[in-house]
Amino acid sequence: MNGLPVLSIIALAPTAAALLILLIGRGKQLPRAIALVAGTICLACAIWVWFNYDRTAAGMQFVQTIPWIPSLGIAYKVGVDGISVPMLMLMGIVMFTGVLVSWDVEDRPREFFVLLLLLVTGVFGVFVAQDAFLLFFFYEMAVLPMFLLIAIWGSTRKDYSAMKLTLFLFAGSAALIVAMILIYWQVGAHTFDMQVWAAHTFPATFQRWVFLLSLVGFGALIPLWPLHTWSPDGHVAAPTAVSMMHAGVLLKLGAYGLIRLGITLFPQGLHDWALLMAIIGAINVVYGALCAMSQTDLKYVIGYSSVSHMGYVILGLSMANRFGLEGAVFQMFAHGIMTALFFALIGYVYEKSHTRQIAEISGLMLRTPVVAATFVIAAAASMGLPSTSGFVAELLVYVGLIGKSPLLAAVAFVGVVVTAAYLIRTLTKILLGKPSEAVEPLVDPRPIRMLPMGILAFTIMGVGLFPGPMYETIRIGVMPILQKLAGG
Amino acid sequence: MLAVTDMNVTMQMLLPEIIVAATGALVLILDLIWVRPLGAAPSARPWLAYVGIAGLALAAVATVAERHTSAALFSNIFVVDPLAVFFKVLFIGIAIIVLLYSVETLPRFTRWPAEFYALMIWCTLGHMMLASSNELFTIFLSLQLTSLPLIVLIGYAKHDGRSGEAAIKYLLLVLVSTAVLLYGMSLVYGSLGTSTLPDIGAELAKRTTIGPALILGLVLLLTGFAFKIAAVPFQFWVPDVYEGAPTPVTAFLSVGSKFAGFALALRIVVTALRIDMDWHITFGVMAALSMFFGNLSAIRQSDMKRMLAYSGIAQAGYLLVGLASLSQEGVGGLLFYTVAYGCANLAAFGVVMIVAEHTKSTRIQDYAGLARRSPLVGLSLAVALLSLGGLPLMAGFMAKFYVFVYAAKAGLIWLVAIGVMNSVISLYYYLRVVWQLYVPAGEDLGEMKVPVRSSVALTFCVAGVLTLGIFPEPVMQAAQAAAAALFGG
Amino acid sequence: MGYVLAATVLLPLVGAIVVALLPKSAEGAPRPLAIVFAAANLGVASWLWANFDRTASAIQFELKLPWIPALGTSIHLGVDGLSLPMVLLTALLTLLAVIASKNISEQRKEYFSLILLLEAGLAGVFIALDLIVFYLFWEVVLIPMFFLINIWGGPNRRYAAVKFFLYTLAGSLAMLGGIIGLFLLNGANSFDMIGLREGSAALPIATQAALFTAIGIALAIKVPMVPFHTWLPDAHVEAPTAVSVLLAGVLLKMGSYGFLRFGPQLLPGGFTRLSPVIALLAVISIVWGAAIALRQTDLKKLVAYSSVSHMGYVMLGIAAGTGAGIMGAGVQMFSHGLIAGLLFLLVGAFYERAHTREISAFGGVVKVTPVLAGILVFASFASLGLPGLSGFVGEFLVILGALGPYMIYAAVAGLAVVLTAGYLLWMVRRVAFGELNADRATMPDITLTEALAIGPLCVATVLVGIFPQTLVGVMNVAVEGVAKVLGR
Repeated sequence: MNGLPVLSIIALAPTAAALLILLIGRGKQLPRAIALVAGTICLACAIWVWFNYDRTAAGMQFVQTIPWIPSLGIAYKVGVDGISVPMLMLMGIVMFTGVLVSWDVEDRPREFFVLLLLLVTGVFGVFVAQDAFLLFFFYEMAVLPMFLLIAIWGSTRKDYSAMKLTLFLFAGSAALIVAMILIYWQVGAHTFDMQVWAAHTFPATFQRWVFLLSLVGFGALIPLWPLHTWSPDGHVAAPTAVSMMHAGVLLKLGAYGLIRLGITLFPQGLHDWALLMAIIGAINVVYGALCAMSQTDLKYVIGYSSVSHMGYVILGLSMANRFGLEGAVFQMFAHGIMTALFFALIGYVYEKSHTRQIAEISGLMLRTPVVAATFVIAAAASMGLPSTSGFVAELLVYVGLIGKSPLLAAVAFVGVVVTAAYLIRTLTKILLGKPSEAVEPLVDPRPIRMLPMGILAFTIMGVGLFPGPMYETIRIGVMPILQKLAGG
Repeated sequence: MLAVTDMNVTMQMLLPEIIVAATGALVLILDLIWVRPLGAAPSARPWLAYVGIAGLALAAVATVAERHTSAALFSNIFVVDPLAVFFKVLFIGIAIIVLLYSVETLPRFTRWPAEFYALMIWCTLGHMMLASSNELFTIFLSLQLTSLPLIVLIGYAKHDGRSGEAAIKYLLLVLVSTAVLLYGMSLVYGSLGTSTLPDIGAELAKRTTIGPALILGLVLLLTGFAFKIAAVPFQFWVPDVYEGAPTPVTAFLSVGSKFAGFALALRIVVTALRIDMDWHITFGVMAALSMFFGNLSAIRQSDMKRMLAYSGIAQAGYLLVGLASLSQEGVGGLLFYTVAYGCANLAAFGVVMIVAEHTKSTRIQDYAGLARRSPLVGLSLAVALLSLGGLPLMAGFMAKFYVFVYAAKAGLIWLVAIGVMNSVISLYYYLRVVWQLYVPAGEDLGEMKVPVRSSVALTFCVAGVLTLGIFPEPVMQAAQAAAAALFGG
Repeated sequence: MGYVLAATVLLPLVGAIVVALLPKSAEGAPRPLAIVFAAANLGVASWLWANFDRTASAIQFELKLPWIPALGTSIHLGVDGLSLPMVLLTALLTLLAVIASKNISEQRKEYFSLILLLEAGLAGVFIALDLIVFYLFWEVVLIPMFFLINIWGGPNRRYAAVKFFLYTLAGSLAMLGGIIGLFLLNGANSFDMIGLREGSAALPIATQAALFTAIGIALAIKVPMVPFHTWLPDAHVEAPTAVSVLLAGVLLKMGSYGFLRFGPQLLPGGFTRLSPVIALLAVISIVWGAAIALRQTDLKKLVAYSSVSHMGYVMLGIAAGTGAGIMGAGVQMFSHGLIAGLLFLLVGAFYERAHTREISAFGGVVKVTPVLAGILVFASFASLGLPGLSGFVGEFLVILGALGPYMIYAAVAGLAVVLTAGYLLWMVRRVAFGELNADRATMPDITLTEALAIGPLCVATVLVGIFPQTLVGVMNVAVEGVAKVLGR
């Protein structure tokens, strides 16, 4: 293994950059330049990890352990497996593009990038943490900057949304603290090392109830219906880059956490609650899609579509079989990229036209064919059309579903049709026809603004057309969990 | 524990207290012979505070030198052990910070600060003695030493009616709680025939039945400290007194006084109350009530000081969670929590003082846009409040986690659940203030100048919050050592 | 050799990208460039046709590249006698459609880019030998089709496009469900259409029938068979001429081709069980389509319903499952592609001149546009199955093949030719003959562009009619194979 603490660099480089901006980042140019450098470093490291993760050896790699709070058995332990590697890639891409999308932030750019980078640290931290406490530490760290980012740079009822989001998420994490402490004492090894935890076999009753805690706690973030109400509001209110990270990555923290601290530890618990999860997942899919259908604000459409799409993740996980889990993780990646792209696009349109009302936007294709084409790619991924990453994810989830519950698969299919309906309706309205008044000022983005959309769209198509490596990575990551599920 | 009889050694052990007592006197004398003769010239006054700080710092050094000591003085009525050292350092630190703040604030309500400094130093002396007291009447004496200066300090703003009112209220409180305590002590002493805490513990452990008089005595004894830490249901005095008192005094009350109560409680509960009673439940319920009452009331406040008063009640609840565990680790958690809470709360009050200097207001709405006017002050308050709310990177997160982990070990899952739930509730009002700091664009009131002394104190507190939030291990170990001394001895 | 086959997809795909990337200023470039690519593709298809080994039963020009090995799916391409004519038809009709699109004035490069993308998708469907790849192309077709109708279509285009999209997408999902079921039940962990044959044929008949129902619904929507046909007239009426040509000429064949691939080759048991239903629906389609066509006043709708009717013959032949029936279906697919293309081109030509498609708005046009009118007569005869033209061969073989298993249906289908003759001849009479409508007096006759587009189709119709052996020879071995599997 290479001696370079690459994971720590990924997790801490943004913080270092944030501090640097705090110290010297006056003006508009410097903060964003520093942020971009940090973004580049993170993305480069994520790519490096992607290519250097040994897929034949599998398991935890690039592990680095430093005692942190020995009094409580807490260590700074980072490492990645086949589930975290795609998440790192996701975050690397979304973060890099998020910085680019925020290139023209005018209002207090210094604070903006500081908070954004703190958020990034939190998210990366969760994905590399192998110590439950560390994971939780980063997890909460990710939520707080979100509050200010939305409250200061947001739009549309931003105060309300910011507070709602924050309280919902912290309420979720309250359940998680309790769960974590319970597990800690149940294992009794004076450690928060999740690998040690995973090796422990928990009693059935314990599994049942603590899994539920974990489900509720992380479910608030996923977001599980009916804990989802903060999510569309949050997406809509947040500034573009934050929406991208929020919908693109933050929601995945929930699912990721559920896998790490729920399913991996409590296979029996998953079996106990699988039906409930599956039903909720199906509700997520259909309810989210129906809500999206009735929205008039572009961002709300995508906000609710996230609720709907995360439903597939829940459905996949609840199936507790190979394809379900693989599909769930794949969907986490796919949805992250696709939503980030959507928000980047909407953000761009909003920036120029100052409206997100579907009724006021039309004819984008004539004004800016590039944006329009990218919209189509995002929508195709969202509908799960083949050749996009969304398809592979949904395909896997379906395989998982049909293998276990064709009925739920049928429900999910209904969700897809509704999804297609609202996306098609929306696309028709905003892309085609004569350019409306609001759309007049729109032009093709400058290269630096085009770059993020290009990267995201390219990722969607790239992973959709060549899903092999991604799938292989996820397959390896999910395997140990499957073994536990089979044994439990 | 080593029983010390040699007078020289005894004096050596008492060195910190002696230094503090002398410092207080020195401040007064300097005032008489040096500052007052200069007349109204203000330039010399800060030096009184600096002298006080220097003396306190010296005392701190002397205290730290005793950190490995474990000794009982004067026939076991006064102990010097790591627990006492821990608290003493904490008290001295608090006093230093508050003195630094006071230098800026005092001129607003008095021209003659010397008595203020001296009283505060002597009050700290009382706190330090409480941390060492091991016997009922020593406890009583030390308590009086803290209470009497506080009454004066609270009423120090002579021209502010609220200050006088608060002083009267506090006076009444002190009278009542003293009476209660005294009554409790006499009942306990009368029933058991001993007044040192270890002996009380030994006596109680021997008994199979405990008479009503003794029960009443013990309950009254606990009530005495409950007033001090301001836990529900003995919290009613807090908001008015906190609001009325000069802000440095409020800051002092909110941490020093509260921790002194805990120092006392720890000794009484762990050393003396060795009876077969479910103290988990007692303290647990008290903790839960304090958290709920404090947090739910704080939500409605529009005044920063009152909000912090109620939040202080809630924080007493979290501290009580540590006590409710009744384990060495739980007490360690409590001790760690005191440091974390101390740093955060002093930072918060520091900002309150700085803002009040500029806006003459403590209303939350007047904090709008503070982060723009002064990034340091804004950030400090944000960090302080978020630490109180228990967010990571900040000390409060580690402290709460620490306390909760061991509460869970003691089987108090329900209490942990209530605790984390309350953290979320508390975040609501803390975040509201943070929102005020950063969000409103409003009118630009210009940059806010922050005096050097205040910013030093503030930076120190904030640095403490962040350090404890990221590298808590050293303080945790000190806390564990202190707790171990309590349980081991 | 396999790469030559892959070129039928890649060439138009590259063309689509190249055309899309043309600078805005190059107004005149898209169409010539598209013609070049389409012509090249026709060249490739012809080369395949020429080099196809007509005596071998194996898949030819096979190409198999790993794609997602762990999921048992690979990029598996190849053609046999059933698919090769479709590949040729696709290439031919696309070229003609591009040629005929001379009068597209808005967003030219988008238009031609989408047409080429459509071609890539269509070709892909016919050469895919892996179910996932097949599904991929199947869905890829949707996007360009949707936009082609939605942007360049008639006044009611939005409704038609959305209806088309959702209808087919809903169907596709059922198919996806079926495919996944096939994958799961087969147990071979493979999506390979060839590799799955053995395992899936061995499944219990009821299971096969269930799977085939799911898949069949999607196919039936595409064909379309009554009662799943309602999207077709809307789509045809609104689509621009060239798109109608591709829609009727190739898109519908995806459905019938799918029946051939999934039915006899993958789920013979289920297919046999369900074939009476298919046959019944086929006959209903024949009669219903013809009857509805009879009362149309809109030229294009008439042709659209005639497609429903003619595709009924294809389906009857497939349902019959005899050598003659399947051969007839194959020939009819090819032939209908030619004739429907021809008819739509004519309708388009008339519409361009008259700006209306109402039959009553014409009359006696033979006097002003003898050539166009003549071709209309020719096309109508071809369509109603005049011996010597391609339509006859197909329909004759179908009825012949159906006589054995479904004598009554065959009889009905035979009698339905009368209806077909009825609506076609009546249409011809009202449009071409009789008194000259005054409004049409100045209608110009065929232009060079139109001649270039229409001419090849006329020639091909005659060639297939006179020398059906060229087509039959290609299909023979494959058809025999299918019939053998079905035991008829």
